Amino acid sequence: MSAREFGEAWALSQLSPGIHLVALAGLIGRRAAGWRGVIAAVAGMMIPAAAITVALTAAYEMIAASALARAALAGVAPVTGGMTIATAALLVRTSARHGRTHLAIDLAVCFASLVAAVFLGIPTLAAIGAGAAIGALALGREPPTSRESSVG
Amino acid sequence: MDALALFGVFLKASALSLGGLSSLPLLRGDLVAPGIATDDQVIQAIAIGRISTGPNGLYIVSLGYLVAGVVGATMALLAASLPPLVIVPITAAARRWLVATPVAGLVRGVALATAGLLAATGIGIVSATGTPSLWQLALAAIAAVLTYRGTIHPAIVIAIGAAAGLALGR
Repeated sequence: MSAREFGEAWALSQLSPGIHLVALAGLIGRRAAGWRGVIAAVAGMMIPAAAITVALTAAYEMIAASALARAALAGVAPVTGGMTIATAALLVRTSARHGRTHLAIDLAVCFASLVAAVFLGIPTLAAIGAGAAIGALALGREPPTSRESSVG
Repeated sequence: MDALALFGVFLKASALSLGGLSSLPLLRGDLVAPGIATDDQVIQAIAIGRISTGPNGLYIVSLGYLVAGVVGATMALLAASLPPLVIVPITAAARRWLVATPVAGLVRGVALATAGLLAATGIGIVSATGTPSLWQLALAAIAAVLTYRGTIHPAIVIAIGAAAGLALGR
């Protein structure tokens, strides 16, 4: 696989739904060995990591009810909340466009979604649908500021 | 909730998200609001997903396990693996269409709306157990900055949170 092919696969994977790394693995797998390669690449990426995740979760479940684990959770909860907010900021950083006007419009879409969820109780699916419709109609004119992504 | 219905919930969240944690708002809405999962379980799943290997989006496997054991984890794994693969046949047939302006705009619009929803979910998690204390708000702010900068491994950030919880949360 050439650097150009890898770059193209990476860019296409960013358009896929779900976990982008899975899409990237699938595209690389197809390039390497067709549909068998897709299955091998995705299974190789997901199954060992999922097994480790299940093992960690099962181990945690054994101590989850203890007083120490409950106390630790009081600190882990705000940390995961903060991480989630940071992930939102990273998503904006990788998606928002160049230029003051375009950036202001993009931030307004993001903020409207936040307000709709927190204050108006708009269903999540409706907010995503509205974002998709607004995006298809009005947000496609300029490339994003960066094609890098750290949201996985 | 039976396995097939759980698979449907995870599949919907995965298919309508764009990478990593962006499935969280949909999953929280479909699992926590009806009482199938708790906010504590969501928090535990995110933390374990960040500590574990593999993509961030694998937190849903942990959540699946917490909700319905190995069957739940398996449903979550399948649901996380399938939607990204739609890009594989599409790229062969419609590569040019994928980079067209309306598609780029659609993806951007979904990403921006999801970012707003994620921020709302983050706020919801911080205040899930009632009004947060000052030290918890400070911890959330520190975690947000460290995660955004990406210079410290998430497991260390979570360990800091757990240590602070042990010291101040009792």
